[in-house]
Amino acid sequence: MTRAPARVDPDPEKGWVRRLVPLLRAHAPILALALAASVLASALQVAIPDLISRIVDLLVAERRVAVGLCLLGLVLAGARFGVGYLYRRFLLQTAYEVEYDLRTAIHEHLSGLSFSFFDRVQSGQLISRANSDVRAVQMFLSFGPAIVVQVLMLCFALGVMVTMSVPLTVVAVAAMPVVVLLGTRMRAQTFPLSWVVQARIADAAVIVNENVEGVRVVKSFAAEHLQLRLLARAARRIQWATVRQNDVVARWSPPMQNLPGLSMAAVLVLGGWLILHHQLTVGDLVAFTAYIAMIQAPMRQLGLLLMQYQRAAASAQRIYQILDERPQITDPPDAVDLGRAAGDVRFEDVVFAYRQGFPVLDGFSLHLRPGETVALVGRTGSGKSTAARLLMRFYDVQAGAVRLDGHDVRGLRLASLRAQVGLVVDEPFLFSISVRDNIAYGRPDASLEEVVEAARAAAADEFIRRLPRGYDTVVGERGYTLSGGQRQRLALARTLLVDPPVLVLDDATSAVDVEVEERIHANLRRLLRGRTTLVVAHRLSTIGLADRVALVEAGRVVAEGTHAELLREPRYVEVLAQVEAEQRRQTGRARAGAWEPGVEMEER
Amino acid sequence: MIWQGGGGGSPLFAGIPREVAHRAARLMEREPDWGLPEVPFSLRASDQPRFTLWVLLAPRRWALLGALLLVAVETVLLQAGPLLTKVGIDAGILGHDFGVVVAAGAGYALTMVLGGLATGARVAWTARLAAALAYDLRVRVFAHVQRLSLDFFSEQRSGRVMTRMTNDIEAMNQMLQNGLVQIAVQGLTAVVVAALLFALNWELAAFTMAVVVPAMLALSIWFRSASERGYRRVRDGIADVLADLAESLAGIRVVAAFNRAARNVLQHRRINRTYRDAEVYTAHVTAVYGPATTALGLVAQVLIVLTGSFLVVHRQLSVGSLTAFVLYMTSFFAPLQQLVQLYSTYQAGQAAVAKLAGLLAVRPSVVDGPDARELPLVRGEVVFDRVWFAYGVEPVLEDVSFRVQPGHRLALVGATGAGKSTIAKLLVRLYDPTRGRITIDGHDLRSVTLSSLRRQLGVVPQEAFLFAGSVRDNVAFGRPEATDGEVLDALRVVGLEGLLERLPRGLDTPVRERGVALSSGERQLLALARAFLVRPRILVLDEATSNLDLASEARVEAALDAVLEGRTAILVAHRLSTAMRADAIAVVEGGRIVEMGSHADLVAAGGPYARLYRTWMSHLEGGWRSRRVIRGTGQVLC
Repeated sequence: MTRAPARVDPDPEKGWVRRLVPLLRAHAPILALALAASVLASALQVAIPDLISRIVDLLVAERRVAVGLCLLGLVLAGARFGVGYLYRRFLLQTAYEVEYDLRTAIHEHLSGLSFSFFDRVQSGQLISRANSDVRAVQMFLSFGPAIVVQVLMLCFALGVMVTMSVPLTVVAVAAMPVVVLLGTRMRAQTFPLSWVVQARIADAAVIVNENVEGVRVVKSFAAEHLQLRLLARAARRIQWATVRQNDVVARWSPPMQNLPGLSMAAVLVLGGWLILHHQLTVGDLVAFTAYIAMIQAPMRQLGLLLMQYQRAAASAQRIYQILDERPQITDPPDAVDLGRAAGDVRFEDVVFAYRQGFPVLDGFSLHLRPGETVALVGRTGSGKSTAARLLMRFYDVQAGAVRLDGHDVRGLRLASLRAQVGLVVDEPFLFSISVRDNIAYGRPDASLEEVVEAARAAAADEFIRRLPRGYDTVVGERGYTLSGGQRQRLALARTLLVDPPVLVLDDATSAVDVEVEERIHANLRRLLRGRTTLVVAHRLSTIGLADRVALVEAGRVVAEGTHAELLREPRYVEVLAQVEAEQRRQTGRARAGAWEPGVEMEER
Repeated sequence: MIWQGGGGGSPLFAGIPREVAHRAARLMEREPDWGLPEVPFSLRASDQPRFTLWVLLAPRRWALLGALLLVAVETVLLQAGPLLTKVGIDAGILGHDFGVVVAAGAGYALTMVLGGLATGARVAWTARLAAALAYDLRVRVFAHVQRLSLDFFSEQRSGRVMTRMTNDIEAMNQMLQNGLVQIAVQGLTAVVVAALLFALNWELAAFTMAVVVPAMLALSIWFRSASERGYRRVRDGIADVLADLAESLAGIRVVAAFNRAARNVLQHRRINRTYRDAEVYTAHVTAVYGPATTALGLVAQVLIVLTGSFLVVHRQLSVGSLTAFVLYMTSFFAPLQQLVQLYSTYQAGQAAVAKLAGLLAVRPSVVDGPDARELPLVRGEVVFDRVWFAYGVEPVLEDVSFRVQPGHRLALVGATGAGKSTIAKLLVRLYDPTRGRITIDGHDLRSVTLSSLRRQLGVVPQEAFLFAGSVRDNVAFGRPEATDGEVLDALRVVGLEGLLERLPRGLDTPVRERGVALSSGERQLLALARAFLVRPRILVLDEATSNLDLASEARVEAALDAVLEGRTAILVAHRLSTAMRADAIAVVEGGRIVEMGSHADLVAAGGPYARLYRTWMSHLEGGWRSRRVIRGTGQVLC
């Protein structure tokens, strides 16, 4: 079963660890098991040197082999393995479960956020940052408790040592604070350097990447040698920084590693003196040396724990930032479910701005009767595409209303609204799945026949059959690269398959060849019958699909009528001329100005 | 906070603490100015031996030997401790001689101090060695990539070059920096400790080794393969998770429009579950290995104490030796575990060596001939003489011949894939013809050096590629020594003087800086300025205006006239308007030139060009149902 994730505490006032508590609580059984096992493991770890010290004492004092104690030692070692397994396995699993919770929660939360959020943030950065943040929290949860347990073990060990000899314990641990201090100092110096090294490796990667991407320019300008020298400089800079970084390590790590050795030497001398004065046994001394080795690791890791804690705290805050982001477009509590819509679309004095103070639509009113096809014509930036998006409720109007069959779209259940409206845009997004799955994206249960039929209607069947694996060809980022026109045709098929009563075509065939577009339009004229269609026309040919044309200027409809009627409007003619000019630029046709005057065109 | 890496310009470090960034900045102030290092480079064909690890190491073998000596000194010093402990216990404590105890303690302390010094020296020494080797490697690989010809850089291979230059070099670097030296350190430690154990008591040593070492090795070998499998699963798992997340976000509008969010949420959970399962598997593997080795160590201790006790009772072993044995056992385990771990690093490094060797073995197809001369300053007569060319088996150009007089313009028109761009690429000698020859002023391109040829050519590709540097770096790309005055002059010629006012740091503004959004027209004009600055005799424009809007196109076309003045030009034309202004037009169809002449001649001839011309005009019919001429705007709308 793919379980739903546990959710973090929604109260932003709480500290980051407290907000994680619900997640930890969700995995309480394995976490408790892990912690209990860890305490046991520490106790056993400490018990064994003590056992050995007793064996040695019996040996020295009575010349007797303590076979029983040795067998006990073997049993303890076996037990140590068992609890050690439980503790590590389930502690790590807890961390991984929390990671699962965070990752799926982030995905689910982002999926529900409004588009205004994605207009603001760059999703690529969002993903990579969220990824490293989740990882930082997971790392802390994987190792943090382990280090705490090790510190626990350290305390056990210290307890046992103190019972053996207080002065010897003092000598044995005297070096420890210094080791911790040195570790902190060293990290403080290496940390910035490791950033520098990483940044420089990234710099070199940029040079290589640019070089490869711009290889034609590099070769054309005979710049290979210069590029090589640039890379050599970047490599020198990496070299310098790595050497600096390692010099710090070379300076600090020998004392860190060898101070405990000095403690050993001191313990040997002091311990020897104590034994000679009968205040200590040889077995105790042997146990001491084992303990000194044992307590080094937690001491060193204490500093690491602090660093991981800080990193995880910062990361968790960033994750909460995402999770605390509230979606702006949601279903109202009393949302209405629309059956199949009749297709009466009404924009009523709509005002909308992406950015405060820069309205894109300003008093936009338009009525589409059921089954009617209306073309929006206007200059770039006049607000045509925005109107289309509002109908899908990608954004909410700031004033006025958009109505479908008389219902304000804000009162409809989002899923129900979007099931009624199909949108095809000029730069459609395709997923890295097969052609078939892409076309069936809105109706995953569609049969192959239905998919093929939709593809035919979009004049896509032919080229799909020529793809390496036909309808099973995987496309997109991780698959076969399609041309812009091919992508548009797939996107059209995708929407046609859903068979929505209301259709929005936003420059949907701009990259398609003229002849293919003709075929698509012929199909569309048949398919649009009985469907309310809003066509955003960036090309003159698309206007031909429409029963009626609405001229949009500065965010409002300024004229409406049939194409023939509107041609009497000078504004319309002017806009058309501009659209026509754009059309030529996009398809690379001959420039009107270069025509010889008086050339007569043949009627098609 | 964004903190700029000095000069390199990576806006990394977002999110690192302020004081850390400050400290890093202070450290970097001490960095010497490297300038541009001198690196030998040649485009001649050369035969290098196959790349192996030793090829890289050989020039620095003495430094390597020094590092190994330091390792030896360090290991011996650091393993003296338990032996001195034995002396302290046996001769000192049990022998009731405190002087010996003090001497042993002092000796112990001394070996620690000296060993520490040796460690420090070894770390610093090997770091220098490894960093120098990494430098050698980066330069060697990149120099080779620079020598490779364009045919190598297909889309797929470009990605691979990136991987070689980043991941594989990093893997090798890891092996050089940690792997090799650590293998020496740990291997030597294991040998020294084993020798000491046998010296202390060979029976006990043999016994423990026979019991412990096979178990330890078996466990470690299992762990290595299991954890590798686990990490591969984890790596694939996280890649899938991130890819799915990326697609969900990139396609969020489609997801919303088609009501797929709920379904996608379940899919993402499933993918995340697979990833989590992989992680839990690695948890299982580490949870077995870590405690198992610990337990094995404990078992070994107990067994040593048990058997050692019998030996002590029978007076075949001293108590001190027994203690030393227990201590050495710990330091014998660690290196064994380490060696197994290091083997992975070593393998990864070796795999990287093999991959790099594969890249370094690729021979460039276009090289300077053995007796290539410098191309003298040319007048600019370009001749294609029965040129054939194929990327693979299928010929792309068949028997193409033409001549362009110095100072003339030739436009190439034809459908996509007809071979127009290939002709342009051959002239720059990005490829060599399979048959026939191309000459400039009578010099066969293959008889002159690539750099002298390309210095006299200016190229403006279809996509204006700008490098990450400043505006100045980009314009002066072909002539880095150009003065600011010359750069400004080039910008003026293409009509970009207005741009500089918009840029916060003038010519030094990075073209990719946030807020410096260059339009595609401006990018294309920069590319044109770049070509102009090298003052080429011959200009090659490959559909330079195809991606531009109307206004930018007009600017670029106007700039073209200024740039082309007095130069030979080959224009791969996307639009008839560009072609019509050329001195000659060649119509390319299916890899052949089917027609050539001036615009007027070709229209009059009524051949393919005239047809092309008519089709383009008739396309303006578009989808209009009725023909209509709108007067008053001067535009014809049909």
